[in-house]
Amino acid sequence: MDYAFFPGCIAKNVYPGIEKATRIVFEKMNVGLHDYPYSCCPPPGVVACYDKDTWYALGARNLALSEPDNRDIMTICAGCYGTLHNVWHELQHNDAKRAYVNEHLGRIGMTYKGTSRPIHFVDLLDGMRDTITQNKEVDLDLRVAVHYGCHYLKPTTVTGENSESPMLLDEIVGLVGCKSIPFKDRLTCCGAGGGVMSGEPELSLKIMERKLKNIKKADVDCIVNICSFCHMNFDQSQKKLESFDIPVLHLNQLLGLAFGVKHKHLGLHMNLVSTRDLVKKVKGAKKGRDEE
Amino acid sequence: MEKTTELIVKEGNGFACIQCGRCTGSCPSGRECGLRTRRIVHMAKLGMEVYKCDELWDCTTCFTCQERCPKEVKITDIIIELRNLAVKNSFYPTMADVPKIIIQNLYRTGNGQPLSPEVSKLRSIIGLDKEPNDIAKNKAALADFQKLLDGLPLMRWGGI
Repeated sequence: MDYAFFPGCIAKNVYPGIEKATRIVFEKMNVGLHDYPYSCCPPPGVVACYDKDTWYALGARNLALSEPDNRDIMTICAGCYGTLHNVWHELQHNDAKRAYVNEHLGRIGMTYKGTSRPIHFVDLLDGMRDTITQNKEVDLDLRVAVHYGCHYLKPTTVTGENSESPMLLDEIVGLVGCKSIPFKDRLTCCGAGGGVMSGEPELSLKIMERKLKNIKKADVDCIVNICSFCHMNFDQSQKKLESFDIPVLHLNQLLGLAFGVKHKHLGLHMNLVSTRDLVKKVKGAKKGRDEE
Repeated sequence: MEKTTELIVKEGNGFACIQCGRCTGSCPSGRECGLRTRRIVHMAKLGMEVYKCDELWDCTTCFTCQERCPKEVKITDIIIELRNLAVKNSFYPTMADVPKIIIQNLYRTGNGQPLSPEVSKLRSIIGLDKEPNDIAKNKAALADFQKLLDGLPLMRWGGI
């Protein structure tokens, strides 16, 4: 299996551990990931909110890059997925918009056909459950709070997901021995999207604080997300709020731990909120398994 | 093309709104601030200049309101379109300097969030290429990207 790999600017340029974990985990599962000269998605919160036509054109440029190789595009961030999938979906239905983006792409010698589909990596993992189990070296035995990321789930008219009671992520963490712990308002937004984190940072922090209070009550070992942008918000906001210390892992970093990859190779030591206790716990589980 | 408020409401099925308030009740941002999505839809329906309201920029675009609307009003889509209209009329979010920097970064490096020397070092520590294999590294692709952006409306309305 081969995919064009769209890491997105947060995983590339802020939390490189997410990019690294993704490359390791997918290599172990025999999925080829290929690089292209991608720009950022572009960000829905700023670019779509300022000018939607620009958003379509820049998104279409990214989508078109792997068309000559017939490769679908794997994203690891709900924000990138939101942009690429919404742009792709709109251009499937809206001929006028497709003509508009092609008129602009023509200026740089490119054409958009719509033959490469964006896919969120968790949907890919859904069909690879046996491969995950085969690669598992450690039963992690962690209590985790899962966070889906709004733009992975919604709008459901585009995503086709179940936005009120999704289970996929809960099931996938279960495959590596983790228990997804329910908590109040678990599906609400983390507060980063829509340009609120950059344009209204205090409001963004208030939304996050309420979320973290609910997670804290659930007494979990870590937060597991499938969105680099939410990941950044969860980690950085805890540092700003000073009253929380819940480690934050992207799902690919969690899978890396379960596949027996050293935490430093997954960049876990680069988070602002310390992951030391969590890593210690996982090492304990690994040691227990080795002694058996 | 600039859309009128009326066209935005029409395209978003906003005239079907029955003012039940389920959107406002579902809004994670409205819990913490003055954003009232029901009021925004109502004002827009009446043809008021709702794009001038600061609250428009408090929406995180999580789409919960749109999902739960019993009349299938595309509330989040309406809010995003109203923001586009606001920008075309020079009404920006409170901290407009930050989005401006993101747009400048996007033009300069192809990424809204560019690589810093610190993260470049972190990348090499964990065995990744110092620079990601993306547009910022590929000068020809970046030049084309800038040419593409030069002809797109964002450069006119982005406040830069």
